[in-house]
Amino acid sequence: MASENKPLAIHTDGLTKQYGQAVAVNELDLNIEAGQFYGLLGPNGAGKSTTIHMLTTMTSMSAGEAFIDGLSVRDNPVEIRGSVGLVFQDSALDRTMSADENLYFAAALYNLPKKQAKQRIDELLAVFGIEKHRHKKLLALSGGQRRAVDIARGVLHRPKVLFLDEPTIGLDLPNRRAIWRFVEQLRKEEGMTVFLTTHYLEEAAACDRVDFIQQGQLQQGGAPTTLINELAQFILEIDCVDVEQVKHQLTPRFGTPISEDQHLSFRINDEHVDFSALQISLGKAVEAMQWRKPNLNDVYLWRVCPPQDGALV
Amino acid sequence: MSSWLAVKAVVARELSKVFRQKARLISSMVRPMIWLLVIGSGVGSMLHGDAAENYLSFLVPGIVAMTLLFAALLSALTLVYDKEFGVMRMMLIAPISHYWIVLSKLIAATITAMVQAILLLALLVVIGLVDWQVALWLLLPAFVTAICCAAIGGLIAAWSKTLDNFAVIMNFFIFPVFFLSGALYPVSQLPEILKYVVLINPFSYGVDLMKHAVPGSQPDFSAATDMAVLVLFSVIAITLACWRFSKESVHEPLFHRVTGGKRR
Repeated sequence: MASENKPLAIHTDGLTKQYGQAVAVNELDLNIEAGQFYGLLGPNGAGKSTTIHMLTTMTSMSAGEAFIDGLSVRDNPVEIRGSVGLVFQDSALDRTMSADENLYFAAALYNLPKKQAKQRIDELLAVFGIEKHRHKKLLALSGGQRRAVDIARGVLHRPKVLFLDEPTIGLDLPNRRAIWRFVEQLRKEEGMTVFLTTHYLEEAAACDRVDFIQQGQLQQGGAPTTLINELAQFILEIDCVDVEQVKHQLTPRFGTPISEDQHLSFRINDEHVDFSALQISLGKAVEAMQWRKPNLNDVYLWRVCPPQDGALV
Repeated sequence: MSSWLAVKAVVARELSKVFRQKARLISSMVRPMIWLLVIGSGVGSMLHGDAAENYLSFLVPGIVAMTLLFAALLSALTLVYDKEFGVMRMMLIAPISHYWIVLSKLIAATITAMVQAILLLALLVVIGLVDWQVALWLLLPAFVTAICCAAIGGLIAAWSKTLDNFAVIMNFFIFPVFFLSGALYPVSQLPEILKYVVLINPFSYGVDLMKHAVPGSQPDFSAATDMAVLVLFSVIAITLACWRFSKESVHEPLFHRVTGGKRR
């Protein structure tokens, strides 16, 4: 269950969730090392949140096994809940209570003595820079501040594994950056394993490893930089006047593109392509053309929405 | 891991909310006083002599029981409120067995009901409608009745998915339970068929138990019967509520609703 002497924080073997005939998560095999920053990426309804909910005992498994820090999730639900932190997609806090009251309440739920709770709450509020708002009702805080309190709630008890289910959804860039700085700090200082799902793929680029999930099926991923390098040397994006002509001319050379209306994206693996000459050869079939280095968004698109008969799915 | 700190936290949270809502506390006094003074005086005026005075005394246990019923049911409503507003997830992810959440909420509901009943009794003592010794004697039966009312609330809340759902059940439930309990009129004077309804209504036994503490009231059952029914019903109802709430299917929609809306 371990590689390079690192124990596994999360291990699943054939983890499956079924609702009647519908399979939400299908035989998921995960091995996430302790201290790793792991990202599970996929479209809406792919099974990301269901996976998190099974791993945190919020939803039962239909089949398979899951272990957190060596403990069976199925057999030790209370202990598992004590060793994980879960930050939900939307706030789980009581909006009629202050940040302080919410955090003390959460601390008591985790059996933290008052003195220890105070120390931890002070520390977390300081990291987020919201100490002066601690006595305000949650309703009076900004979205970013509320999210910060939510994350503070998730890590109050110093969990071994922190599950972040789209934690920055709906937040502006400065708040998103602040939250990621904090998560990074936690990982460094407390060696916490972080399991992330997000739609902001640039955030997942910081992960040690990402996997993709679609219709409950896991597609093995890897380190984001490796995946990006393996995808292509360049991504060629073309706004077409005549889509069929561009496809006809370039597909034999570069493979099937991802297409969306008049827009085509090709993967270019030849670093010696003369793009200027290419544009000239396409003539009036092209309205605009650009080439750039690929990123994790491209990996996601090509993995999760690969070209099918030239159409984006 | 010990769950007592968590239980204490849930109870403290509920109580702090109750004491923050001063209007709720005041209205909890106003409602029974209106019943007592308006219904009591109205019906009493149709009676003569001792009967008129006795009717007010007769109403006291019923009105105290009504306070307990409303307070406990509204307090149990927070189980549904917390589900509806997502706060329940904070408790569900905590390292405690899920039945502790129900037990904590019902402890809070019982305490809330007792606080309101004690305030009402104090008011009744101050205005001279109840003797202070009678008020003290009423405390124990009121406590047992409060547990029964909280258990009824827990049972409803465990089966209610939304606040609307709870409100509908309450409207179909709370008034029949109150009116058919012997709180307003002696059970012996009810039509035969309604007597059977009173017999299967656990709240009737709470009202009846309190009548034992009020001189001049005429209880319909023995105190031992009242206690036995209330304790038995409460144990069964609380067990059922805990069992129901611990079932994953009860809180699973909560996660689906907030994480994309539909099951995949």
